[in-house]
Amino acid sequence: MRESNTAKQLWYLTLKNFKSMIRERSQLIWIFGYPLVFILLLRFGYGLEVYKLFAPGIVILAPIVLISQLAGHFAEEKESGTLQRLITTPVSRSTILLSGLLSQLIVAAIQIVVMLLLVFLSGATFNSNANIFLLFFIPFLVAFTSLGFGLLLASIVKTASSAGGLAWFIILPLQFLGGLATVPLVDFIPTSLGAEALGAVMIYGSTAFDPIGLNLIQIAIWGIALILLGIILFQRKTAIL
Amino acid sequence: MKTPILEKKYKKLKLKKKWWPKVENAIETQNLKKHFNEIHAVDGIDIQIPRGSLYGVLGPNGAGKTTTIRMLSTILHPTSGDAEVLGFDIKKEAHEIRKRIGVCPQELVLYPRLTARENIHLIAQMHGLTKKDYKEKTDDLLGKMNLLDRANSLVKGFSGGMQRRVNVLMAVIHEPELLFFDEPTAGLDPQSRRVVWDFIKDFQEKGSTIILTTHNMEEADDLSDELIIIDHGKIIAQGTPDELKGRLGEGDILEFKVKEIDQRDEIIERAIKLDFVQWGKSVGKHRIVINALDGLRRVSEIMDQIKVKMEDISVRKNTLEDVFIDLTGRRLRD
Repeated sequence: MRESNTAKQLWYLTLKNFKSMIRERSQLIWIFGYPLVFILLLRFGYGLEVYKLFAPGIVILAPIVLISQLAGHFAEEKESGTLQRLITTPVSRSTILLSGLLSQLIVAAIQIVVMLLLVFLSGATFNSNANIFLLFFIPFLVAFTSLGFGLLLASIVKTASSAGGLAWFIILPLQFLGGLATVPLVDFIPTSLGAEALGAVMIYGSTAFDPIGLNLIQIAIWGIALILLGIILFQRKTAIL
Repeated sequence: MKTPILEKKYKKLKLKKKWWPKVENAIETQNLKKHFNEIHAVDGIDIQIPRGSLYGVLGPNGAGKTTTIRMLSTILHPTSGDAEVLGFDIKKEAHEIRKRIGVCPQELVLYPRLTARENIHLIAQMHGLTKKDYKEKTDDLLGKMNLLDRANSLVKGFSGGMQRRVNVLMAVIHEPELLFFDEPTAGLDPQSRRVVWDFIKDFQEKGSTIILTTHNMEEADDLSDELIIIDHGKIIAQGTPDELKGRLGEGDILEFKVKEIDQRDEIIERAIKLDFVQWGKSVGKHRIVINALDGLRRVSEIMDQIKVKMEDISVRKNTLEDVFIDLTGRRLRD
């Protein structure tokens, strides 16, 4: 009998999740295709001037699709029995959960870089003073809140297909209320906060505390609260009874 | 605690009693119960399974076999009762148990978008095996299961039989002290089934304790040192396959289908008047099973006695299925 190492287990599980994800073509199309549709629609349907206004929102839109990704991932693990199979090995449930979050964060990081490149190449305004770290960090922080929503959803649904369907009840309000490729209707949800902060950095090259720092704090609070709640509910849902 | 099975083995080896190794039980349960609301899935099971043995758990679908395995493999908490696995309490020391066991679930539990090799490696990695350890071992195991040429293919493209073999390999890669096989050959063709049986026997020879649940009586009979038969969450019989079959007496089993369903009790009564007929039972809607000494030679004599039109008849040696029929009046698959 050998002693298992939590850090190694986390790495191998994350790698497994990542491999499973990139080998499923439909998941790749969803992750990159959905935001790409908005780039094409706004750029060529509404013209460059309108597109420039909405470009920061489109970048924020990208990590929102992770809600269904994460919920689908855990629902599939539960549905197929692989979660239970893993539980019979000396790996803790928190390591399994963390590996799910980590693999989605890797996807989010790749997705955000690709989206920033695409909006840049398609003519969106990038201020010469725009802080590159913030350009990446703001949508990445929104990705955290998406994972929180995803975990909440994962604790409710039983199958991967129902996760995919129900995710729209979260994605669409976040998208339309938050002003992603539309006019924002509320200003306190992670998407509207993220789009406003990213717009300030991207278009105006701002680094001001208001709106950027203030919005980031609010998004972080959303992210922490959602992830904590998600972890509690998910752990309860997968508890050994 | 020394058990009759191991005592027999030591006697066979002509090992002096003072040299008998001290044997502990791999599993001990006391009044183990699992209730799901009104359903008593497991209803007070007491077992002692010695280390190194291959222990069969036989019963029909829904008898409580899988629930028992799930409790012992720490993925389900018992409603009441106690159980120790490899000396660890299933409720308080689950993590210690998980380091030492391998579980082959009844369902095909694989990662479809990983290759066969990656699926097996993942379990090895969770158990802390080094790359050097598991790489060679995985290839060796894949070779034994005739899967080496498909080792780098995604398992979602595998046939059901190939997936089942990968399912088995994922349970054994870390060479656990205790292995749970839950219906490991369900849906396999006879040739693949034989490969899995040989594989299971190999692991026992290496010293692992093996718990095998099945509703395949041939599997239970061929592989088990000792077995329990479970029905409705309770143990209804326990012993070696020969001991259990021996309870039915020395006779042959005659099984036949009759048209006169409502006269089956009378038919059985007429049959047991013959001094060489030991017992008879109604099974299912149309069938009657009779145990008769020297039954093969005396078929016509029995037929004359029971005076019934039958649609078919078979004569065979008794099996564990007949033990189950004798105990419950039902077939294992009913």
